[in-house]
Amino acid sequence: MKLKRFTALTMTAAVALSLLAGCNKEPASSVAESTETPDVVESTEEGGETAAKEYTEDEIVDFTMFTAMPGSEINDGNDIQAEIAKKLGVRVKETWLTGQTDAEAVGSIIASGDLPDYINGGDAMIELYNADVLVPWDEYLDNYPNLKEMYSDEEWNMFRQEDGKIYWANVFQNTYGEDLSTEHSGEAFWIQVRVLEWDNYPVIETLDQYFDLLERYAAANPTMPDGSEVIPYTMLCEDWRYFCIENAPQFLDGYPNDGSVIVDLDTMTLKDYNTTETAVKYFKKLNEEYNKGIIDKEFGVQTYDEYIAKLSTGRILGMCDQWWDFAYSINDTLTQQGLDDLGCNYVPLGLTIEAGMENQWHDYGDTLNQSSGVAITTNCADVERAFQFLNDLLNQDIHDLRFWGIEGVDYLVDDNGLFYRTEDMRTQCGDPAYQASHLCTYSYMPQWNGTSRDGKNAMMPGQQFSEFSANLAEPLVKCFQAYGANNYNDMIHSAKTEKGLWYPMYSFSNNFTTDTPGGVAWNKMAEVKHEWLPKVVMASDFDSEWATYMDKYNACKPEDFLAEMQECLDGVIGK
Amino acid sequence: MSEEFNLDNKIEEAADTLETTESIAADISGSESSSDELRMVTYVKPKSHPIRDFMRSSWSDKLFVIFNTIFMVLFVVITLYPVLNTLAVSFNDGTDAVRGGIHLIPRVWSLKNYVTVLTKQGMITGAWITVARTLLGTFLALAANSILAFIISRKRFLFRSSLSLFWVITMYVNGGLVPTMLLFKYLHLTNSFWVYVIPGMVSAFNVMVIRTYMEGIPDSLEESAQLDGAGYMTIFFKIISPLCLPVYATVALFVAVYQWNSWFDAMLYNRLRDEYTTLQYELMKLLSSVMQTSGSATNMNTTSASSATVTPTTVRSAATIATMLPIICIYPFLQRYFVTGLTIGGVKE
Amino acid sequence: MGADENLTEETENVESTEAGKRALSKTGQPVEDIDNLSRKEIRKRAKKNNRAEDVKVRLSKAELKRQATLLILSAIFVVYGIIFYYVPLLGWIMAFQNFKLKTGFFHSKFVWFAKFIRLFEDEEFLRVIRNTLGMGILNLVTTFVMAIVFAILLNEVRNKYCKKIVQTISYLPHFLSWIIVCGLLHDALSSTGIVNEVLIKLGIIDNYISFFSFPAYFWPIVAFANVWKETGWNAIIYLAAITSIDPSLYEAAAMDGAGRWQKIKHITLPGIRPTIMILLVMNIGNVLNAGFEVQYLLGNGLVQGVSRTIDIYVLNWGISEGDYSLGTAAGIFKSAVAIILILIANWVAKKSGEEHLF
Repeated sequence: MKLKRFTALTMTAAVALSLLAGCNKEPASSVAESTETPDVVESTEEGGETAAKEYTEDEIVDFTMFTAMPGSEINDGNDIQAEIAKKLGVRVKETWLTGQTDAEAVGSIIASGDLPDYINGGDAMIELYNADVLVPWDEYLDNYPNLKEMYSDEEWNMFRQEDGKIYWANVFQNTYGEDLSTEHSGEAFWIQVRVLEWDNYPVIETLDQYFDLLERYAAANPTMPDGSEVIPYTMLCEDWRYFCIENAPQFLDGYPNDGSVIVDLDTMTLKDYNTTETAVKYFKKLNEEYNKGIIDKEFGVQTYDEYIAKLSTGRILGMCDQWWDFAYSINDTLTQQGLDDLGCNYVPLGLTIEAGMENQWHDYGDTLNQSSGVAITTNCADVERAFQFLNDLLNQDIHDLRFWGIEGVDYLVDDNGLFYRTEDMRTQCGDPAYQASHLCTYSYMPQWNGTSRDGKNAMMPGQQFSEFSANLAEPLVKCFQAYGANNYNDMIHSAKTEKGLWYPMYSFSNNFTTDTPGGVAWNKMAEVKHEWLPKVVMASDFDSEWATYMDKYNACKPEDFLAEMQECLDGVIGK
Repeated sequence: MSEEFNLDNKIEEAADTLETTESIAADISGSESSSDELRMVTYVKPKSHPIRDFMRSSWSDKLFVIFNTIFMVLFVVITLYPVLNTLAVSFNDGTDAVRGGIHLIPRVWSLKNYVTVLTKQGMITGAWITVARTLLGTFLALAANSILAFIISRKRFLFRSSLSLFWVITMYVNGGLVPTMLLFKYLHLTNSFWVYVIPGMVSAFNVMVIRTYMEGIPDSLEESAQLDGAGYMTIFFKIISPLCLPVYATVALFVAVYQWNSWFDAMLYNRLRDEYTTLQYELMKLLSSVMQTSGSATNMNTTSASSATVTPTTVRSAATIATMLPIICIYPFLQRYFVTGLTIGGVKE
Repeated sequence: MGADENLTEETENVESTEAGKRALSKTGQPVEDIDNLSRKEIRKRAKKNNRAEDVKVRLSKAELKRQATLLILSAIFVVYGIIFYYVPLLGWIMAFQNFKLKTGFFHSKFVWFAKFIRLFEDEEFLRVIRNTLGMGILNLVTTFVMAIVFAILLNEVRNKYCKKIVQTISYLPHFLSWIIVCGLLHDALSSTGIVNEVLIKLGIIDNYISFFSFPAYFWPIVAFANVWKETGWNAIIYLAAITSIDPSLYEAAAMDGAGRWQKIKHITLPGIRPTIMILLVMNIGNVLNAGFEVQYLLGNGLVQGVSRTIDIYVLNWGISEGDYSLGTAAGIFKSAVAIILILIANWVAKKSGEEHLF
């Protein structure tokens, strides 16, 4: 009896696996299966306009997608989703991360074998590759010019996995035409404009100056208008968002966001920013400020929700974070409460450990994180159509539909052909109920930044300069003027440097698994840092706590990790 | 009076009223306790006059009463306060609530949190599925557990101890998540409603609770029924089950609460199937997405600071209250059953 | 009828006592209920009979036929049990392989005990064992003590309605899911939460305490969460046991001038001792089930050294890192320890003459 059961179970696994394997080896078979689909609509050259064919409800195919990030579901019958489906014949049902980490979610999806058609697995893409559930792109890519256009051949090669194939493409940080970015989307020490205004817009270059200003401001203005106390500085340490406390040392030393290591350009060797002198100084400074009561006592335990909630009250004067991690969640709330007029909006500062150093907080141009992106799984019944859809989403008219909305409803076009929104439209597009019923950005599908194919407009409304300025509160405008800046990017004064193809190095470490010693070390280092970084900040005796931390840290064998990263780097530069 | 006669009489009475059923249940419970013999004499307490009693009592007894009263008041406050506080926060404006300091009464009233919770798409489907899985799941689990307990509690049953052991083992070992997922996939339970009710249908723990209760019912009932020609099914339905109402209610409540509160299985096995979503899963989705939307959750036509807002904190409160409400409304009425059922079925496990 | 009815009422604590009162003498004096006496005798004998009847039933054709219904039904249950509980156990094979979904059970490489060795070489795993045991024992002790204390004190509440209300309220948290309970606790202990507010108002602390920042607080917080959720529910059994204590003992003690403290100490506690012992023995097997959800929901980086349990470890490795083999090995270890604990507890119970499980 038992033996039979065993056979049955293993058969299940075997059958499932052979099916998967089958899909991989013979993508042709899935093409054969898809003959019933209506003729593939060829997009016009250079991804201009979509052909005029309209799909009827019967012809529309439904695909599913899972994204390993929290997000909002849109309603069934969403207007723009329906519009896109009519034009492209595909409708995608998006599902988001719920109450799990990305790795847990991807892990359980793999184990359950219930794969969606599309998946964007965040930092856990490599697990999908290892489980052999993704469709390789190589045979398809040449047929889909819009997709192909996203990256240069060199860049596409960066996406190749161990077996030499491409399985996914990152959808973000891709500029078409001119770079129009206005918001420094990366990391920085942020400060409320009212603090700068209070001190007559001083030049803040170093960590010491930054905290000195926060201290002085808080001493002079200890409370908010509603009587609650201000919190000069806070940090987020939750789960993967602990980069907010963790990686500042690399920037303070003037290096760009390689994320897990520093690349020394002179020797082309890697350095560990966790153990540098600057790291010690930085954490010692934090420790000092914590003991002075300048840093939020709850920083080590707050959840992302709580952090956002705190920021939205305007009580936090400064923090270290990346723009996308907080701004989209709090800026509207600040406006609603009239806190933007009080100068509670944040601007970035490009701090370094010593004065007069160059900083590289801001990345001019695109950053290619090849460790993450959108993929098509072997569960997808019609791979061709799935690729076609990804491709067509980049058609200009569809792209405008996704991000600008419907002309006349969500935006207007002036005489010069420039898109703009009225105040009402802006508020409407910010309303979550409207977003759920009307807007459909397919936000984790391929997309462009920069200028539109018409050469006038921006691909994204937020990058349309007129839209950007229209949204700025008075204190922000004054602040930009005082520093001679046009936008957030200019505030940070980063050096313009050419980045190597290896940049950013974190896209390699993201793909490490615990199968290698380096991967194990990387995993353990993260665990230790999660626990000890807040501890050293909260220590009453910094030096001894730091020494203990270093012992724990070195016990993880960071050298294994560095050695493997060095191999990756050497691989890229062809050493 | 022969024993048989007396007990048979008792059963006839028992079939009629619930009250007597419980008295038998209590009988059985009494027989478990060690102070059985001592309880043959009953006292009637003199009518009590709390205040007079208190004044007359000794100094240390007064202290005791005072201490005890304080303890009970504290206990009630500690138990209820978090719930009442959540209730207050759920009716409060979002941004305002972040400032803290709300206790039992909302500071800035708002219904927006409940609007956000109740208008979320999928909430209606989720509610139906949850009700369906609670009803069907409870029914199936109760049927399965009680029949299995009935079999195991039959003294004459040939494989009694081996069947018991077979199920007791399942309480302590399991194959882990991954093999279970592979199995469900193979059985086509994933992407279906049945994954909610079929896999958890038999639970060894619940079987043991019912079994213990059934073992307390005198065998003579079964024997005399068999003499009258009743089969096992008749004995189960006509004789044993009516006596087991309290323990059935207890187990039903266990299962119902579990079913009602479940969301993990919905996510794991029906992640891509909207039509099988559950209420709790929808609430979880709402909570993990609310921080994305909270920022701009403003009233469209007003730009003033007074427009209603929601934040993760307040929406979570509203969701919590919405989730608890049905259970809170129901459990006090089931109390009489589960107290008896748990008391007798639970002691021996 | 009297005593039985009375017991029912007492057991439930919330039921009307009318029926019980009706059966009692109006004189307010103790009466001996003859009918009751005989029933009691009968029940006692029936119980003895039930016990004596653990007779061996011979396997015979006639017996098989007689039990056909039971056999068919139990066969269905066995099939069900094998499918849903025993087949997944085959997954344990993974612990001895370097299991990859790609290669499946058949083609994954067998590494035998390598995963177990790796497990015990991992400092983290030793730490999660410590945490699981530590929290398990702490939870067991605190929930036990609190349930007993609550039951005894509630029993001392003389006002029937107060008693009923308090008890009804005490069950409430049991019906809430852990997600909700952890949310409530998190709010209560936050910087603006009620606990800090009260402590500050009472002048015990000057500035709020960030309770979740300190590893030292974590175990007590988890224990408190368990106490808050389960005290009322766990007390049900003790309350029943207390009501079955002979009231005459209390009367006699009162004659001797015993106060309420003395009565509790010398009558109530010894009276419910057997119940306490049984439950204690039974729960020891569950010590390793210190939990998953509470620690998972309340834990954070700062306290991860004391918050992670074996279950969380299994989740981390088995699901997040995709090392199914290591996760399974940890799961097997946990099952093995649980079984050993159960056997020990059962053995102790047998030795000390208490009721035992098997």
